[in-house]
Amino acid sequence: MSGAVSIHTPEVRLAKLIRTPGGKPVADAMRDAHKGLEGIQADCLGELSVVLDKSEALVARAQGAFNAEVASELYGLVSKTVGVATACNLKPIDTMLVSLADLLDYLMSGKTWDVNAVAVHLRAFRLLLKTEAARDGAGTQAILEGLRRVSQRFAKPTTETRPADADGDAAEGLE
Amino acid sequence: MGLNPESRARFNLNRASVLLLEETPLGMSILVQILTGFGAKVLHRCETVAEAEATVQKVELDLMIVDAMGASGAGYDFVSWLRRSGIQPNCYVPVLLTAGHTPNGAVNKARDCGAHFIIAKPLTSISVLERILWISKEGRRFVECDSYVGPDRRFKNEGVPAGMAGRRRDDLPPEVGESQGPNMEQEMIDGMLKTRRVQI
Repeated sequence: MSGAVSIHTPEVRLAKLIRTPGGKPVADAMRDAHKGLEGIQADCLGELSVVLDKSEALVARAQGAFNAEVASELYGLVSKTVGVATACNLKPIDTMLVSLADLLDYLMSGKTWDVNAVAVHLRAFRLLLKTEAARDGAGTQAILEGLRRVSQRFAKPTTETRPADADGDAAEGLE
Repeated sequence: MGLNPESRARFNLNRASVLLLEETPLGMSILVQILTGFGAKVLHRCETVAEAEATVQKVELDLMIVDAMGASGAGYDFVSWLRRSGIQPNCYVPVLLTAGHTPNGAVNKARDCGAHFIIAKPLTSISVLERILWISKEGRRFVECDSYVGPDRRFKNEGVPAGMAGRRRDDLPPEVGESQGPNMEQEMIDGMLKTRRVQI
């Protein structure tokens, strides 16, 4: 660090506003926020279906090889969608999307592609969205743990990575 | 932090002027539902950084919730711009940064942009409220230097690093001096630790 360092304490108007009389209790705020989120659940589910279809189309466009444009577009689509599923009580789909975003980030860093690793995430996406699987605790956790292991394989430098499905356990939890 | 979602403690966001920067319509809807549930009425919805910059220049704000905006990281750049803009008092406003996914290459940018807190999506109502209440606390120091402008990120004061003199006026030397008064009586210490019924 170079040059002068200035440290001061600015006034925070929000602190005063929050303490002003009126407002609402935390419990009521939670209830009202949940009620509001329930009102957009149908939109969220519709959006997730669109994202799934777009993702599958993008992966098909890559034709099994690394394509920087496709990888970047898919990463953008996936990372922007994180958060939508939790709003309609499908948090496992968000966990799956974060795992897929991690995977795509690693693949883009290494300028490599693994068709099986990406495909297993999209299959899980379809399963969690189109069935009641996302609401089933134990089975869903097994799926998510399997996906996390797939994406974390690529966290290492690309020279050390193996194809996700080479030993047949990439899709563990999905069978 | 551990805010109890069943708590009857009151807070008031009715008059708070809140800027929301979120590029996806559904992401914006989720934020709006959460904030209106909290009672916030003055929401400035911005879908682009340009809209957010224009709002910062013409409206006095109390809170900003800014999305990192995917791979482009435009949300981080917006917060950096805000902190160095000199537009008072908005340049000091508490900023909550949200991110769907932070790519490895953007971790430093996220850390150094000058946001008060970064929340990884998915957002939950309770986590957003906890962070709003936390960042709104008074007395948070602001640091301005060549490489960083934003809230003081040090949560713990572990003293001056070994072998350094310290740069702050209130930095203390590592050596502990002689006691300045008599030790406390055990009875007084016990009294301080005794469980008591309190009215909240």
